[in-house]
Amino acid sequence: MKKFLTLILASSLFIACDFDKGFDEMNINPTKAAQIDVNNKLASVFLRTSGERYENWRASLIYSSMIVQHMSSTATYWTGNFYTRNDGYATSLFDRAYPQQVKEIEDIINQLNEEGNSGTAMGVARIWRVFIFHRLTDLYGDIPYSEAGKGYIEGILKPAYDAQQDIYMDMLSELEAGIGQLGANTLGVSDLVYQGDVDKWRRFGNSLMLRLAMRLTKADAATAQAWATKAISAGTMSSNGDIAYIQHTLGPAGINKNGHGEVFSADGNPRLSKTFVDFLQGDPRLPILGARRSDGSTNPADLIGMPNGLTSGALEAKYGNDNTVYAEPNRGVITGEDAPMVFQTYAEVEFLKAEASTRGWISSDAATHYNNGVKAAMQMLSMLYPNAAAISDAQVADYLAARPFDAANAMEMIHSQYWAATFLNEYEAFANWRRTGFPVLQPFGGEAVYDGNVTNGTIPRRLIYPMSEESTNAENFAAALSRQGPNEFTTRVWWDK
Amino acid sequence: MKSKHLFFTVLMALFAVVVQAQTITGTVSDENGMPLPGATVLVTGTSNGVSTDFDGNFSIEANVGDNLTISFVGYASQSVAVTSMSAININLEPDNSLDEVIVTSLGVKRNVKALGYSVTQVEGSEVSANKTTNAINSLQGKIAGVQITGNAAGAKGSTRVIIRGNSSLTGNNQPLYVIDGITINNSNLGSAGVWGGADSGDGISALNPDEVESISVLKGGAAAALYGSRASNGVIIITTKSGAGVGEGMSVEVSSSAQFDDIRNDPYDPQTTYGQGRDYSTTSDNIDTYANWGPRMNGASVEQWDGVSRPYSYKGNNLRKFYSTGETYINTVAVNSTSKNSNTRFSFTNLSNKDIIPNSTLKRNSLGLNTTQKYKKLTATLNLKYVNDDAIGAPRLSDSPGNANFGIRLFAPSIDVNDMLGEGGLGTNADGTEFRTSDNTYSQNPWFAAYQYFDNSVKERFIGSADVRFDLDDTFYLRGRFGVDRYDYHRTSGTPYGTAYQPLGSMSEYKLTNNQHDADLFLGMNNFQIIDDLSVTAFVGIGQNYQRGQSVSASGSNFIVPFLYNVANTQNQGNGYGFSEKQINSAYGSAEFGFRDAMFLTLTARNDWFSTLSLPNKETPNNDLFTSASLSIVLSDLMTLPSIVSFAKLRAGYSQVAGGADSPYQLNLTYGIYGQGHQNASLGTISNGSIPNPDITPFEKDETEVGLDLRLFDNKVSLDLTYYSNETNGDIVGVSASPTSGYGSALANLGVVTNEGIEALINFSPIRNDDFAWDLTLNYSNNESTIVSTNDSGGNISMEEPRSRNLNVTHIVGEQYGALFGTSYVRDAQGRIVHDIESDGTPIPQIGPRKILGFGVAPTSIGITNSFRFKNYNFSFLIEGKSGGQVYSGTNAMSKYFGAHKATIDADGRENGFTVSGVDANGNAFTTSIAPNRIEDYWRRTYSIAEESIYDSDYLRLRQMSIGYTIPDAALEGTHIESATVSLIGRNLFFLSNSVENVDPESGYNVGNSQGLEWFGMPVPRSLGINVNLKF
Repeated sequence: MKKFLTLILASSLFIACDFDKGFDEMNINPTKAAQIDVNNKLASVFLRTSGERYENWRASLIYSSMIVQHMSSTATYWTGNFYTRNDGYATSLFDRAYPQQVKEIEDIINQLNEEGNSGTAMGVARIWRVFIFHRLTDLYGDIPYSEAGKGYIEGILKPAYDAQQDIYMDMLSELEAGIGQLGANTLGVSDLVYQGDVDKWRRFGNSLMLRLAMRLTKADAATAQAWATKAISAGTMSSNGDIAYIQHTLGPAGINKNGHGEVFSADGNPRLSKTFVDFLQGDPRLPILGARRSDGSTNPADLIGMPNGLTSGALEAKYGNDNTVYAEPNRGVITGEDAPMVFQTYAEVEFLKAEASTRGWISSDAATHYNNGVKAAMQMLSMLYPNAAAISDAQVADYLAARPFDAANAMEMIHSQYWAATFLNEYEAFANWRRTGFPVLQPFGGEAVYDGNVTNGTIPRRLIYPMSEESTNAENFAAALSRQGPNEFTTRVWWDK
Repeated sequence: MKSKHLFFTVLMALFAVVVQAQTITGTVSDENGMPLPGATVLVTGTSNGVSTDFDGNFSIEANVGDNLTISFVGYASQSVAVTSMSAININLEPDNSLDEVIVTSLGVKRNVKALGYSVTQVEGSEVSANKTTNAINSLQGKIAGVQITGNAAGAKGSTRVIIRGNSSLTGNNQPLYVIDGITINNSNLGSAGVWGGADSGDGISALNPDEVESISVLKGGAAAALYGSRASNGVIIITTKSGAGVGEGMSVEVSSSAQFDDIRNDPYDPQTTYGQGRDYSTTSDNIDTYANWGPRMNGASVEQWDGVSRPYSYKGNNLRKFYSTGETYINTVAVNSTSKNSNTRFSFTNLSNKDIIPNSTLKRNSLGLNTTQKYKKLTATLNLKYVNDDAIGAPRLSDSPGNANFGIRLFAPSIDVNDMLGEGGLGTNADGTEFRTSDNTYSQNPWFAAYQYFDNSVKERFIGSADVRFDLDDTFYLRGRFGVDRYDYHRTSGTPYGTAYQPLGSMSEYKLTNNQHDADLFLGMNNFQIIDDLSVTAFVGIGQNYQRGQSVSASGSNFIVPFLYNVANTQNQGNGYGFSEKQINSAYGSAEFGFRDAMFLTLTARNDWFSTLSLPNKETPNNDLFTSASLSIVLSDLMTLPSIVSFAKLRAGYSQVAGGADSPYQLNLTYGIYGQGHQNASLGTISNGSIPNPDITPFEKDETEVGLDLRLFDNKVSLDLTYYSNETNGDIVGVSASPTSGYGSALANLGVVTNEGIEALINFSPIRNDDFAWDLTLNYSNNESTIVSTNDSGGNISMEEPRSRNLNVTHIVGEQYGALFGTSYVRDAQGRIVHDIESDGTPIPQIGPRKILGFGVAPTSIGITNSFRFKNYNFSFLIEGKSGGQVYSGTNAMSKYFGAHKATIDADGRENGFTVSGVDANGNAFTTSIAPNRIEDYWRRTYSIAEESIYDSDYLRLRQMSIGYTIPDAALEGTHIESATVSLIGRNLFFLSNSVENVDPESGYNVGNSQGLEWFGMPVPRSLGINVNLKF
């Protein structure tokens, strides 16, 4: 009997064991941190806003650059050239921006709030947040904004879509508030845009405010004027030294590289569009931006643009050319994986001021702004791309002398130049073209309507939302469609109506 | 917690019984004279009974004139009269009919008739007769309720095993594998996804088919509850061969097999009439070698993709030119040494495989040592296994980059893959770069993909276990077990220098060490007679399972010295380190009560504590109690049944099991630094892709099963029926969040899944005599799964998608598991397809919304085995099939897109166009003929419509066959050979039916929960071979 009592005792020892001893500590990942320095997060979100090859290939080049006829391609998977629908391509910025950009910037702002930081870091974060969202709303229209990126912070799994008008109003006031918080440099090397120069951030904030304000000229001119004049008087970019861009490097990882550059490494299909090359005739920028595909020649006489909307078969049939005789983005100069990714330039700001002046909103001279813009757009190339030949003041003067500013044709002149200056900032080129209608683009560059297009032969006015929202965010998605219109390339966003 | 402790206390009380004094002694042995421990010796007609000790000895108080009944599971009971006080020695003979012994939870051998749940045991010969590189594949079609799905990944691929349906929405659904008492890691080391990739195999593939003694499948919760949370998907218990049962002395076994694989049965059947080209012209596009849109081939000389002019004619079957005969050689030598108190088996197996795709091999060397030593009351068993896998060239699957299987099926019939070897050979130019065969950067020359892409791995695995049992007395024993499963895996993979889409190439080195150990300590009591007619067998124990994974990786892109494949030789380098650790601690107990050896009630309880559900200050539980009860009633022993009934048993089981989170570190948000910074700035970000939830608790799975085991006509007919129903509650799911929330999903205990099904095993053995025997076994199972809940709003859970990205495997409330939810045709009220009519009159079907197009998991499986033995010959074949499921076939979608599919051609050819009927956007019906140069546009659109590429995945095939000959003993006289058998074997011999066009229905590339996606996997080969087994 004793033996059994011992056994019972032994087994009750089992029960007395602490069965989850050490488990709390075991489930804390030893390779991760509970929080990190906000500056490390800011550096990350800057790079991720510049983006990866994925969305730069699809939303930026395959759709936007083709639609605005900066470029062309005979490969039919370059669907933006044929106005055909590829959901994954068209939704790529939406797909990537929320998990990689919006999530991070909302986390940064949440951390700064928790830390009671209302200084420069907060100001920069708020300006950058607006930058991220304005690209999204310009491309897609109504989007999740006020509730977006807060899956962890507020537990919002299905963010509502805000009306673009509301988004714009909030973005403008956020910019104003963010600029007001800029103070001492606290970012240091983490500031991949301005290397800690807070004055440049202030001028960028105001320039972005000007861009947003001018976007509203069709939809709400009074608001546009109010914010544009506010931005201009507060001080916008004043030289090419103020350009907002990120300098990329050849590696080591994909994120370090220029996403467009990675596309050009991987894909030999894109060519300069005939529309664009025709515009660049007599322009010193042409041999910098373009080179013949077949042999790399940059002799302007060798540079011809590819018509839009033609397959290789159709191109051959109509022009008797294979696609290698056309100019492509100059691989010796602008397509490097270490090229800068440009977000906004001084030239754009001057062009917007030229428009504001033309509209009578500011008193400075429209022609001066126009000339400043052209000069800046030409001379920034050698600053951004080390292999680009510098364009001299004399060359600029010659160019302008041949094309003097004509106030009667101001909008077309200004925005054709804006369009040329935003080459490789395709989201901005697409948005500004939609607002202004300049340069005047013919569907498919005037070529025959491509069978199988989904726009009834017209130039797309937006990109489409991912259909996955239909299942993962059904009610809010349906509300957005009923407010904005069907999820088509032809539906116009609020400021484009 | 108090109530949980009560169970153990009650259980312990059962041990507190006084043992009787002794007068009569004896020994019980088996037919070979080996002592039988644990045999029951009962004074007939009384409750006075004892069990034999470890050496088979017993002592019992009895009088001369009494009868003793000696019984042991698996052996025929014997009755012996006590005639004197001298020792009684009894030899029991095996009972070959009813009292089968089966391995159950924790390795306990039990009599089948006592089980209140369904267990299927398969003998090792079933695995070794028809060997496969992943041995578990040999069980396909043999066990009702167990669905085994191979992968279209070639010989090195992994296998998906599902028992009684998928019960977790997004967690692991595969069973727990236990080899010689030790749970092993069956992690998949990587499989292909939407963007391609290779299948790097799983853990169970290390199993050596020649060393399997038996495989027991514990299907339901009642059977598996003692294994705790990790057994919520059932348990597969593998016992490897030991030196026991081979007779005393030394013996040597040699077995050799050679198998040859070919693609003769590959169902791909493309058009061979229209050659390369576009717009019904050979000149419109002669670069895209996949474009099957040229005119009818006429033999004229046409300039092809490489600038060379060749006759525009059918060049023959490119698949047969590209894939070669696969070869697998498996050789095993085993030495047994057996004596009264010890037995040892040492084995060595060499497996050498050359896959059907070029440049893909597997070499596997396995060493096994199994030894048992007995000393008085102590038995110690040591099991050591070492497996070395050396795999070259894991083939890429799914998306096209580097996937040789992609191009080879799409080339237009006027294109010859043998023209693609290139100046440098094996798909290269003279300078070693890719000899491009397509203008699509992402499609590789198949030769180049096979020979120049690299994906090689070495896996060294050690599985060791020690088991020590100490018999405290005749009734009680103490048993301890410790086991280790550790492997080191090293993979070198890369994109070679000179590939079109990544001209400078890239590579990575990845090293993983996975380590897990199991420790158990338990105290048990043997069959013990409590009172008249009532006996008990019980044990209590504690256990621990610890798992740790550590990985380091180094990767680089852009080789500086071309073709020098060393990470140090790259411009852009990165590195990584991974760590994960988790542990489960447990306390458990089991008691089986037997009434008159005809009614049995088994109760089990186990409590598991999970580190993965622990966090400081966590308020919700990190542990759960699982219980089970099962009842077996042997009607034929309790009452008189009609004489045709040889045996009848009813059984019923109920279980409540639970599972924890599979992965650690899911409960809190963390941050990390990634990459190597940018221009002196460090990059930091949130590490979680899912929204963490600190309140996660274990999920629960309830299961009820009832069954009938009936044997008729002197056991010539037997029927084993099971009905089960289970429900998983609070499954830990990543509730799908809109990506605009910043996250892909949020973790929550919200999933509810039910499975309900039947399993039937019917056996006819109409003839069984010395010269001839015929055995027919049919197993059938049907499982109906239902997604009851996904999340708070009943939203869908989207999983994997194919490369066309127009469909996701999706869990939808109210539907079966894993719906294929994709874009559809737009149809009018009459079901006619709505088209947009283009300016030239070409109708293009509209893309409709996503709909449920099918379900990737087939609910019904069937297996029919016929075995014949005539004198020394035997012949058997297995017909196996599945039905009721669907597959999205990317190969068909793509072959339509490129015009390789026969459906893109009308009966009268393409010359006159392609006839389409439907309605236009205004509802007007039309029938029109699309001009030959526009047919492509029609079919390109269908590629975007997932519905076009959905097929029923039903099939019935001759899965395996063998013809064997056992050399008569007489012929072996005078040799040293004791026995010898030779057999011819075949696998995947042919389809009796296949409802999918062009691909094998089991060609999925994903072994995860997203079943039903096919996209240019490896062909499923036919195998023919020979097996020789010799025993010395």
